[in-house]
This record gives sequence, structure tokens and C-alpha cells, in this order.
Amino acid sequence: MSQHQAGPLHASRRNILQGAAALGAAAGIGIASRPGPAHAQDAARTLVIASPATPQGLDIEFDVSLGSIDALGALYDYMLAYEKMPDPKAPGVMREDIGVHGDRPNGLALRGRLAEKWDISPDGLKATFVLRQGVKSNWGNTFSARDVKWTWDRKFNLKGQGIFQTAVLGLKTPDQIKVEADHVISFSLEKPNPLLLKQQCNLANPIYDSTKLTQVGGADDPWGVQFLKNDSAGFGPYKLQQIVRGQQAVFQAREDYWDEKPFMRTVVMREVPSSASRLSLLQGGAVDIAQFLQPREYMSIGTSRTLAVDTVNASSMIWLELNAKIKPFDNVDVRRAINYAIPHDDIVKTVYYGLADKLTAPVPYIYPMADPQYFSYDLNLDKAKQLLATAGLADGFSSTISYNAGDPVQEPIALILQTSLRRIGVNVQLEKLPAGVFYENVTKREKPIIFYLDSPWTPDPGYATFLYFDDKSYVDYSNYSNPKVNELIEGGLQTLDDNERKATYGQVQKILMDEAPWGFIAYPKYALARKAKLSGFTYYTSNNLRFQDFARS
Amino acid sequence: MRGLLPFLGQRMLFILPQLFGILLVSFFLIKSIPGDPAVLMLGPTATGDAVAALRTKLGLDHALPMQFWYFLVDLVHGDLGTSWQTTRPVLEDLLQRFPATLELVTFGLLLAILVGVPFGVASASHERGWLGRIANAYGLTAGALPDFWLALVLIFVFYTILQVVPAPLGRIDFAVLPPPTVTGFLTVDSLLAGDWAAFASAASHLCLPVLTLGLVNAGPILKMTQSTVERMLHSDYSRYEVLSGLPRGMVVRHALRNALPSIITIISVLYGYLLGGAVLVEIVFSWGGAGQYAVQGVLNSDIYPVLGFVLLSAIFSLFVYLAVDILYFAIDPRIGR
Amino acid sequence: MPEAEATTGAIAETGRTSRLATLLQVARARPRFALGYVIVLAAVLAGALAPLVAPYSPVEANPAEFLQPPSAQHWLGTDAVGMDIFSRVIYAPRIDLAIAVAGTLLSAVVGCLIGAWVGYHSRGGGLRGWLAYLVMRAADVMQAFPVFVFAIALVASLGQSVQTVVLAIAFVNIPIYLRLMRSQVMTIREMRYVEASLVAGLSDARTIARHVMPNAMGPALAQLSVNVGWSILLTAGLSFVGAGVRSPTPEWGSMIASGFQNVVTGEWWPSVFPGLALAVTVFGFSLIGSSVELFADPVKMRRLTRDLAARRRERAA
Repeated sequence: MSQHQAGPLHASRRNILQGAAALGAAAGIGIASRPGPAHAQDAARTLVIASPATPQGLDIEFDVSLGSIDALGALYDYMLAYEKMPDPKAPGVMREDIGVHGDRPNGLALRGRLAEKWDISPDGLKATFVLRQGVKSNWGNTFSARDVKWTWDRKFNLKGQGIFQTAVLGLKTPDQIKVEADHVISFSLEKPNPLLLKQQCNLANPIYDSTKLTQVGGADDPWGVQFLKNDSAGFGPYKLQQIVRGQQAVFQAREDYWDEKPFMRTVVMREVPSSASRLSLLQGGAVDIAQFLQPREYMSIGTSRTLAVDTVNASSMIWLELNAKIKPFDNVDVRRAINYAIPHDDIVKTVYYGLADKLTAPVPYIYPMADPQYFSYDLNLDKAKQLLATAGLADGFSSTISYNAGDPVQEPIALILQTSLRRIGVNVQLEKLPAGVFYENVTKREKPIIFYLDSPWTPDPGYATFLYFDDKSYVDYSNYSNPKVNELIEGGLQTLDDNERKATYGQVQKILMDEAPWGFIAYPKYALARKAKLSGFTYYTSNNLRFQDFARS
Repeated sequence: MRGLLPFLGQRMLFILPQLFGILLVSFFLIKSIPGDPAVLMLGPTATGDAVAALRTKLGLDHALPMQFWYFLVDLVHGDLGTSWQTTRPVLEDLLQRFPATLELVTFGLLLAILVGVPFGVASASHERGWLGRIANAYGLTAGALPDFWLALVLIFVFYTILQVVPAPLGRIDFAVLPPPTVTGFLTVDSLLAGDWAAFASAASHLCLPVLTLGLVNAGPILKMTQSTVERMLHSDYSRYEVLSGLPRGMVVRHALRNALPSIITIISVLYGYLLGGAVLVEIVFSWGGAGQYAVQGVLNSDIYPVLGFVLLSAIFSLFVYLAVDILYFAIDPRIGR
Repeated sequence: MPEAEATTGAIAETGRTSRLATLLQVARARPRFALGYVIVLAAVLAGALAPLVAPYSPVEANPAEFLQPPSAQHWLGTDAVGMDIFSRVIYAPRIDLAIAVAGTLLSAVVGCLIGAWVGYHSRGGGLRGWLAYLVMRAADVMQAFPVFVFAIALVASLGQSVQTVVLAIAFVNIPIYLRLMRSQVMTIREMRYVEASLVAGLSDARTIARHVMPNAMGPALAQLSVNVGWSILLTAGLSFVGAGVRSPTPEWGSMIASGFQNVVTGEWWPSVFPGLALAVTVFGFSLIGSSVELFADPVKMRRLTRDLAARRRERAA
């Protein structure tokens, strides 16, 4: 499944009543409002974040909105995590080490979290996890293998996004996950699967406190769906103190957390829908972090001494879905022509102010095995015209580009594209869709060209290409279908050998770039605007913050 | 006309069918906007089953007239539905946002009256003087200015360049605790709580939006005042007063008094109109008001906030008109005695 | 915005021959009225001649020159994707005026027709009287709506296009003309010549068309110009919230909206210039409106002509 919360737009899917600053009531925490000496210590240990939106829901099964994913990493712990490493380009920023490590078991740089030890059988069909003892949930219940089992049973039963998590591992029934002992659990597969360990790190697979959730839900709600809308039951470093949607969410660090206690004792996430407002609050010192600003706004921070912007290469991609079931995009040459008419440099410079790179592969460029060498679509209008002529459309044609009103970069990109396409005789109308309606239109797949911004959370080329290009995936929003590509992608998802996989996905990327199911636009970078004294920012491929990473110097 | 009470009773009789009509039209209009709330609520990753289940839960699988009926039944029980965007009951949302809009509109209109009435009187009584000319020119200009644009220009001048007002971000500084809610007007509530910091912040945030609304809406008030007072001044009784040697000031005062019903009418019309009409200014200043709430609802197939807003503002307008009728009773000795 | 209750049918009373003469007289005495016509003419000309005058295409992005302040090259600067603001500002009347005029005319025609019918039958009983009553209640409902929300909903429901915006504008204006016409017709209905026509055997429809309508049109006509100005504002407002015409169609409201974020960070030109153009145009229409209003008000006209004559005598003396 794709986790769509990639970029700034996520904010907007869920909208956005600009009520933010107009919080009539219930401002539980007076953020440094009347700083007295007694408060100084508290203020230093309080992290205030200006977000585009407070969490909509807190249940990853049903809600992957922006605020929710930031909450998730704080409220829950996971079986495994990638090791951290310094970002090669951004000083002071950490990121996950997602590369291929031939010298490590399973080729991955993993560290144990709720699982202490793990082992995959030589045939790749069974994974056994030995779990950490003495871990307590935010409700005081002790962690055991039953919690892991219950977590996966929940996915099978609720059939929300979790069903994708089971499918991607090739799990058909809950019985394939077995409690071997109080603190030992095993996953049995029919075919080897290279994602088995990677998925344990995925933000979408938090481990629940089953004791609490079965208790609160009772017979009516055995999976605690109601409860998880407004509260949490997990083993993470924070617990939820308050959530008033449209206003703020407050998180409190847990004294009984099993691992290192977070520096920030209190985290306040305030909803501030307008990006200019978030910037202004950061500049005024009222917040520590302003999330998801516009590129121009990041630039304006550049020279400040009290503020800083971290910019890292990220897993987000923005592209045009060229609908292969709508004429003339069923013709490969037309799709190629569109790609040759995309002025990447202009877009990166004018719209992103350099905070993006051109999209040179159908998978995030930071992921292992991503290969930019098959990209050939540098702006070339003559070539584009030639291709149109080959397709029998020498006189051009008319079409429509639909874009999301909630993502401020899409309209300018669309305008630049429109002008460029006009030069090859293609007349496109621009259709601006309100954020909510936009996603409905993407899933319906009835628009000839529609923007999309997304990021596949699991850093794996098989996972990413399966999502967007295998016609069995419902995220294949461009209606692309090629049996050969399906076969390669799926084959690679049953192979454990990294060299073999590299060859397979190289081939997949080559075909995809050649057949151009997308209009390849850009890799937007992940940027974080923060107070200069705030340190510890770590970038995750799920594009979320984890509050426990931050400290104040 | 006879007494006040039968008159009011008659008015009330008309209100219910009218409210029903308004709800009926808005319900079907908004339902005709493409966009499936269930899909929107569940987001792009939802499976078909999940969407179908939610549609059933929300009653979206019923025919439209049935849905309307259910809405009415809930309404009678005081339930205005839930906004899928805020996931909160619409009534709660509106009770929070309506006062925000009302505060803005009320102060804006007060300013408009303070500007419009004196200028209108001045221009009527000194038709050919420079004051009259200025008033005339102002009346014409004010009506021509798009309020959202004027708001932007004011922001640019007073915030970006001069930096004398806070950033156009809502009703109160982020770092200031809002006072406990009594009336929902932040200025009034902070005074009630004796919280001067909050009052100063709320007042400074009100400056530009109120100035915008005041300047623009002074136009119609000015015009109406001018034309009615002028008519009164040319009427027989004014001429008689002038001939009788009454001082000019007193003649004008009498004319104004007689022009009051028209002026009050235009003010009441403006009041009702601005509840929804101030939405562009609300957007510019991120005000978080009711109009903004409704517009977001329309744009995102979130029907209940729109219906709630339309209903509430219709009721509000009706009350304003009612109040105006009562005012007429008070100022016009010929009615009702 | 509330429409000033228009003046009562005065145009009909003025003699046809004297009208042009008075108009010229008034124009000389009150130059600001002339200014109104000049402004509107200028806007129309700008729109008409834009393809000849505009230095750049109004819809071509030029990323190399984005957000440039006004200069010799780009008189009013460029916007966030490098479109030339001057070119867009002078192309915009094509859309803005067309929408506003079309919307207003449509509402005037429909509103007047229904209004005439309703006014004619309002005092009657039976099915027609009842229907007329229903129409009026429907108008009440429409007017009780928050105008803006109603218009946005209409555009959202019918899809974004010029036609839809025209329709939305027509819809919110219809009740104004309906009411004006109705009250006029109700007065005229009682006049003796209407009775005479009916007695002479003309049908209802022909009587309305021949005798009632022409005599009742005055206030509605006086309303037109002001209404066009107001419709321009509404069009711009719709575009501002993204419910207007499609980007990048040159349209003042959407230009203001797209420059909105830039104003706060100091780039004022993408928003300020289209706003100015818009304000001046609407100003022109309201000047025309007030001239028509004056022209249609016999009392004021009499005063004005008296004053003019007095002044002429003074000068002659």
C-alpha cells in the first residue's frame, strides 16, 4: 500500500478549516505564554510543532493522514528498526541506513526494538522473533507474543490498510503467525519474501497492547476501533494526553518507557493550516518546528541566525498519472512525448527553489537498487514532436491536467507544463480540484492526466514498483499494465538474493522508463524548519517525525 | 398597524416554511456536488468494502428524499450532523465559529456606521461643498473595492511594510491564552475576565479585518443616508422648518430622524448579508469563522457544515429583521400606538 | 451587496426628444458621469484590443522570469510562473466583463419576465394567483441564502466553466429584477390603459407585452449598470476561493488570489495591479449607474435642469 502522506499536500487531504489560530477554548497548555522562572525548565523540555493539521484518527488501519503518522511513531513501538546514520549531505541530520549490507544477516542494518533477536530459516520460509521482556504499555500491561499475534489478527479481521500489509508478505491466514512461547513469535511463509524484516520496521505496523484493547472494546468492538480513534494503546515513548481536532494534540513522555526516555517531556502539535502562518509562528519564536512550508518560505529562513532548515533527499515523488486506458495515452509514444516536454530544470528552480531533484527513476532515488541511468527525458521539444508524429498526432491534441488545489506547488507546475506542451501542439486545460475531491478522482482513474505525490514507505524497489506498476495493485492509478513487468516485479518479491534482485529491478526500471506510464516530474526533498537550538532531526522513509529524536541544546 | 405581538406572531408563522425551503434547496444543491463523502473520509487507500460499509453507516445508500427526511428528524432532535473534515458535531463547530464571524462583522459594521452616517448626512446637507464632494466620491469608490483585495493591500501596508499590526493569522496571538468563553467574542470575553493581554491581542488582530469591512460597507450606508436625508431635506416639512427660522442643525437633525428607518433597514440587510459575505475577508485573515467553514464544506463535499451554516445564518437574519421591526416601533410614534 | 431600491419609473415620463439633450447637458454639468462611460469604454477597448496591444501572451508561463518587479520589460511585473501581469490585466476584461454582462442580462431578462407575470397575476385569485404567491416565496428563499455560499455551491455542482459562473451570477440576481418588475407591474396593472387594452379584447400575454412591460422597465434598466459592477466583484470573489474560471484564464479575481501568498512576503505586484484594474472598472460602472439613477429620478432631474438653467442665466447676465 502506498502511504500517501508524503509531502506537503497531505495536509490538505484532510483539510483544513482554517480555525487554527481561532481556538476558542481548550488550550490546555500555555506554551511559554507566561514564562516565569519556574517554567523555564518545562519550556526547554516542551516541543511545540506548528502542523498543517492535527491527527484525524490515531488508527493506522483507517487513517494515514499527516498528523496521524507523526503521532504514530511516538505512541507505538515496532518490532525492528533500521540503524541510524548521519545524513551524507545535511550536517547534524540522521537518517535510516536502508542500504544493502552484504556483510550483515539478511543484508540489512537492523536493530532490535520490541524484538530482541530474530532469525530467518535458510529456505527463507520461516522467521522467528525473540521478544523483549519487561516492556510495559502506556496502560501498564506487559508486552508478550500475544500482543504481536493480536496486532496481525486485527489486520486480517478489519480489512483496512492492514490487509495490504498481510498481502505484501504473502500471508493468507492468521495461522501463519504463531505464538511459540510467551516471548517468541514466528511467521511462516509459503514463499521466501525479502520484505519480511523490512515490513517489521514499517510505520504502518505498530504493535498494540492487546490486553487493553480487548478489554475496552468488549464484545461489540473486539478490535478496539472506537477506542483507537481518540486514544492509543501501545509500547512507545509517549502517551496521548489530549486531542482536540482542528486545534491541538498534546503528547506526554512516559516515565515507564523501556528504552531511553525522550528529552522532550511534552509535545504540543498545534494545527495551523496556512503555511505562511506556520512560518510566522516559527519566526516569532512561538513554535520550535514549522512543518511543511512552501519552498519559497524555506528560502526566506536561509539567513536567519535563530532558525535553521534541514533539507534531505527523501522518498517522495511527484508525477503525472498518464492514464493508459484513455486515448491518446494508450500510445507509448504519446506518453514519451509528454515526458520530453517536461521542463524539469524550470520546475525545480521556479517552483521548488531548488528543493527538489528531477524524477529520474520510477522509485525513490534514495532506495537501494534505484537506478537513474535509464532516464532520458531531458527537455527536448523536437523529439517530443517527432514522437507525436509517429503516433499519428503530428497536429497535436487536446487534453486536461487535473491537480490538487491543496498542494501549492501543483498549480505552478501545471502552468509551466501547459505552456511547454502548447509548444508541441498539445493543448491542455487545467482542472483544479479541491483537496478532498482530488483523491477521489485519483482513485477513480477517469482523468486523462492527474497529478500525484506519494512515497512508498518501505525502502525496497520491489515494494515500490509493485505499488504503482503491477496491475494487481489498486494504487496503479495510471492504469498501466504489462504482464512482463508484473512477472519481474513479483519474481523479485520472492527472491532473497540481493544481486539477483538488483538485476531484476534494473530491468523493471528500464522498461518503465521506456514505456513512461508516468510524466516524471520531481523528487521533492524533505525539509524541516526549526529553531537553530533544536537538534536530533532524523529522516524516515515514511516522512514522519519521531518526537523522541529531538533535544534542545 | 395594531399591536406588536400579533405582528410578531404573523412573522413567526412565515419563518418555519421559509427555513424549510432554505434547507430543502441547500440539501439538494449540495448533494448534487460530485464527491462521495465516504470515499473522502476513508482516503485513497480504502477498499471497496470499507467504502460500502461506511456509506451504509452514514445512510448514504438511501434515496435523497429519505436522506433529507433523516436529516430533518435529527435536526428536530438538535443534531445538525457531523462534519467529516473536523470529525466533530457541526453544532459544536458552529458554536465556536459563529461568534468569530459575528464579532468581526459586528465591529466592521459599527465602523461602517460611524463612517457612513455622518458622511452621508454631511453630503446631503452640504451637497455642493467639498465635504459633499468627498462623501460622494467615497460612496462610489467604496462600493467598487473588492473587499478581499483591500484586505491584501492593508496587510501589505500595515503588516509587511509598517509592521504595526500582527500577522494576518486568526483572532489572537498564538502565545496568548484565549479568555474563558462567555460570549464567544474574544474582546468582550477578555474584558470580562480582566485579561488585558488577551484583550490587546484580540483587538489588534481585529484592526485590519474590521477596517476592511468597515471601509467597504460604509459605502452603501453612506449612499442610503445621503439619499434619504436629502429627500427629507427637500420635503415640505423641512422647507417649512427652514421658513419658520429653525436653526439649520436642528432641521438636519429632524431630517435624519425621519430618515432613520431606511438607514436601519440597510444596516440590517448588510448585517445579514455579511455573515456569509465576509467569508473572503475571513479567508485572507485565516479568521476561522463560520463562512470559511461553510465554503470549505462546499468545496469538500462536507454537506452538514454547509446546511448548518445556512440554517444558522438564515435564523440570524430573521432575528435581525425582527429586531429592526421592533426598532421601528420604538422610533416611529405612528406605528403601534 | 444590497441593491438600492431603484427609483420609480421616471424615464417613461421624460419626453423622448428632450432625453438626448438632457443627457448631454447632464454630462457637461457632472463630468464624473462622463468619467464612468470613459472607464467602461476603456475596459471594453482593452479587452477588444488586447491581442494587438499585449506585449506577451497572457497564458504563457516563462519560468526564467518569475516574480519580477515592474520594469521597462514587464510594465506591471511578472507572477510566480513568469506570466506578464500587464498582458493578463488587459486581457481580463474579455472574461470579467463578458461574464458580468452576460450574467446580469440573463438575470434581468428572466427576472423581468417572471416578475411581470407574477405582478400581473399577484392580485388575482385562483391557480395563477396562488402560483404567483409561490414564486414570491421561492424568491424569499433564494434571497435568504448567503449569496456567496450559494454561488460557490452552484459552481461546484455544475463544474468549473465560464458558463457556470454566468449561471451562478444570473441565479443570485434574478430575485432583484423579479421584485422590481413585480412591484412596477402591480402599479401599472391598475392603470386605465391596461383595462382598456383588456376590454378591447387583447389577451393577457399581449397586454403584458404591449402595454405593461415597456412602461415598467425603467427601474430594472436603472439597476443594470450597478448590477454589472457588482457581478464583476462576485466573479472575482468566486475565482478568489477557486470556484471561478479555470487557471490560467486571465481573470482579475484569480490573479489576485494567485498572488495572495506573495503579498505577505513582499511581492505585491501580482495582486495589486489586477485589483486596481478591477476596482476602477467597477467604479466606472457605478458612476454610470448613478448617472442613470439621476436621469431616472424626475425630482432630481428637475432640480438639476433648474440649476443648470439658473447657472446659464447667471453666466449670460
